[in-house]
Amino acid sequence: MATFFLIIHGICALLLVGAVTHQALGVFWPRRPGQTDFIANARGIRPQVYVIPIMILFVVTFILGAGIYPIYRVYVRPPLEDLRVLYGIGLFEIKENFAAIVLALLPAYWYFWKKTSEYPTTRAALTAIVAVTVWYNFIAGHILNNLRGFG
Amino acid sequence: MNSSLIARVLPAFGIGFALYYAPAYSFTGGNSTFSWPLFTYFPSVGDYGEWHMWLVPGSDTLGPPMWWYGWIATATLVGLVFAAIAALLPAKAVEKILASLVWVVPILAFVFLANWERAWFNL
Repeated sequence: MATFFLIIHGICALLLVGAVTHQALGVFWPRRPGQTDFIANARGIRPQVYVIPIMILFVVTFILGAGIYPIYRVYVRPPLEDLRVLYGIGLFEIKENFAAIVLALLPAYWYFWKKTSEYPTTRAALTAIVAVTVWYNFIAGHILNNLRGFG
Repeated sequence: MNSSLIARVLPAFGIGFALYYAPAYSFTGGNSTFSWPLFTYFPSVGDYGEWHMWLVPGSDTLGPPMWWYGWIATATLVGLVFAAIAALLPAKAVEKILASLVWVVPILAFVFLANWERAWFNL
């Protein structure tokens, strides 16, 4: 059952990576008039449309991750410690910390995207923080799963 | 809730959470004198694990401790306190400051935490 939830966690994370990437591209590298190629189309989106899906996906991914965390603590981390694969543990520690702090930022992220047109710098910075965190957590999660999955 | 109020309350919550979480993670240890986590979870006890209030170190009978849930719980409470204080402060002056702190503080927390994690990478 844990493997099932791990896979759902990974699929939600994949969708989340797609959403934050589109939003970040739309904010930091918007499509210019006349650009019609594939990359330009990925950038030519309305970033505010992604706010609610990103929040929902982040929370769902977080809850699934928090739910399977005890299995990591009991069955994955001790062998990594025994084998001295400490960088794997470090990658995970950073992942859990970033995820928790970004979870608490989501209400503010929602406010600056949905409720005010002021503070564009704050909006852009929060978008970047969410995007970098999601990308880091996605890659770190994959590396960790490759080092030692639930099996 | 009016817009001016949520403009202070929501950023203040995120700031308070990050300000507590970063040192909580970094300074929690089995023999810490201050209980940074609100509770400790022991996942290897019984079928569903066991919860204990405050910081409890791991042992042979309880197994490895998990403090992450407890840090999140305490940081949430601190965030709520920050939000309540922000709600009482004058709107315009505080709003601008919070709009900057809401992204500066988490970035500083990330840097602080990443620096703390260097030990795992032999750096």
